[in-house]
Amino acid sequence: MTEGTGTVQQGSAAEAGKGIPSRSRELSTWQAMRRSWQAYALLAPIFILLLIFNYYPPILGLLRAFYRWRPGVEASFVGLQHFGVYFTSPETGRELLNMFKLLAFFFFSGAVVPFIMAVLIFRIRDTESKELYRLFLIIPMLVPLIVVILLWKQIYDPNLGVINGLLEQFGLGFLARNWLGDTATALYSIMFMGFPWVSGVGTLIYLGGLGQISESIFDACEVDGCTGLRRTLQIDLPLVLGQVRLMTILAVIAGVTSFQQILVLTDGGPGFATMVPGLTMFHKAFRTQQFGYAASIGMVLFVITFAATLAVNRTVHPAVEDVRH
Amino acid sequence: MSTTTSTQAAPPARRPLRYYQIGSHLFIAVMLLLSLIPTYLLITWSFKNGLQYRWERWAISFPLRWRNYVAAWDIVGDYMINTIIVAIFGLMGMLLLSLIGGYVFARMDFPFRETLYYAIIALLMVPWVLSFIPAYMVYVRLGLLNNRLALIIPELAGGPIFGIFLMRAFISGIPEELYESARCDGAGVLDLIGRITLPLSLPGLATLAVLNFIGVWNSFLWPLVMIQDDEKQMIAVGLYKLARSATSGGVPGWTSQDFSVWGPLYAGYVIASLPLVLLFILLGKFYVEGLVDSGLKV
Repeated sequence: MTEGTGTVQQGSAAEAGKGIPSRSRELSTWQAMRRSWQAYALLAPIFILLLIFNYYPPILGLLRAFYRWRPGVEASFVGLQHFGVYFTSPETGRELLNMFKLLAFFFFSGAVVPFIMAVLIFRIRDTESKELYRLFLIIPMLVPLIVVILLWKQIYDPNLGVINGLLEQFGLGFLARNWLGDTATALYSIMFMGFPWVSGVGTLIYLGGLGQISESIFDACEVDGCTGLRRTLQIDLPLVLGQVRLMTILAVIAGVTSFQQILVLTDGGPGFATMVPGLTMFHKAFRTQQFGYAASIGMVLFVITFAATLAVNRTVHPAVEDVRH
Repeated sequence: MSTTTSTQAAPPARRPLRYYQIGSHLFIAVMLLLSLIPTYLLITWSFKNGLQYRWERWAISFPLRWRNYVAAWDIVGDYMINTIIVAIFGLMGMLLLSLIGGYVFARMDFPFRETLYYAIIALLMVPWVLSFIPAYMVYVRLGLLNNRLALIIPELAGGPIFGIFLMRAFISGIPEELYESARCDGAGVLDLIGRITLPLSLPGLATLAVLNFIGVWNSFLWPLVMIQDDEKQMIAVGLYKLARSATSGGVPGWTSQDFSVWGPLYAGYVIASLPLVLLFILLGKFYVEGLVDSGLKV
């Protein structure tokens, strides 16, 4: 017995001494892979689905942006033509400007306003009202998005809408207008939808982040006489920067890519007053069957989103973890 | 959540309310009331007839017209059942794949584990605008246009991307001793997943189910382009089409009666919101926790 173990030890020592760990290691990797066949078998269905429905489409989209492409017709290569057409068409400047306006506004309504609201609710001392406020934050979120959009469409309605109704009631009837049908107000009306923008995931995510900050920090802060706005900027904000970053990225993505509310409220009109690149992509694909052209707009939006996300990630650095409990 | 709030409220027990506390209360209350206005209007309008809708816009009109709800259900009910069918099949598959994937990446040791894991997580970075058009073409090529499978598959295939991320973190937290003792009793991988992991990861699965159900219920652009038959359409697109026909021309069966289309239309909106309300009452805790967690991890 002792002899046997001795030889085994000798053998392994000799192998290690020979200085060919790479080969033996390769062998053992292969063996390990064979031994863990169960893991691969369990993952196989997931990867098969992902390959067909999640890896393939975006890659196909990046390729087909350079093709003329529609269902049932052989795709033909057109090089950079789609990009040339898109960036030289007269509406594109307007669309991109609208997109950046919406993006800037979504940063305000999606990242800034919820932060202010969360800080205010967080500092409420009465636990019961705090819980009540949290509940009231959630209630509007229980209405499906499409219902919210359709409701706001009704609120803006020139004849039956409550905004014009209110203005007339207060003797301000001269201000009443067709909010979504007027070139001057349409885009701002789309932004205004959801006023005052406090309910929703943002406030809850910020509240969660504030709740994670260690109590001792606030105590120390209070001893030092750091209260009010100073505390907000020097304590609260730095310690929820992770959440700020998340909400900023979500706002950027929404600003660049979302067009559902525009499709429902104005469909890009009146004229091109509320047109955004995402909606153009949708129209080109599903109204004029220019799928290659649509894919190229999708690619442009992807590049913008990617660059903006990267920029946010580079500039916003969350505080160190050890100040949390 | 409740534990954190109770600890925060502890120190200043008997301190008098300062002015800024009263100010914050007022400000918060006004903001919340303003954000509740659309919801209030939605509910009051859903009980009105045409005249009441025209002349009593802000008040609650009595008697409440429950017939609006009967009329609305005739049309909205089918869309809701369609959506629930999609949600059930899609979520079941999504939860199963997320559980299995989460277990494999959290508990099994095999070559290229991290590579494969990050290959999945990388898909979270792909924005939907990039894949929307080509995905449509892929589904058309597979003959799935106007097929319910086209609604279920995105949930089944795409849901586990975030699902595996969440479940891996969740399952990593289960004590190893439980698995050890089960392995000593001769349990296989499927036993370890089904008998030990599944019952212990129900909160994580509930979070996933809630987040994804809300996603399915709100899905709009994809069913709008994939589904042509009204009988297969999902709720969000159904409401959009209903609102369009209500404002232009009218809805069959609604205009012929003695009320306008508005009451039943808003009743339809309320009915369409009820599943989310119910879900929140039952599983709201998991939703809020999921949101807060995602805010911390990303």
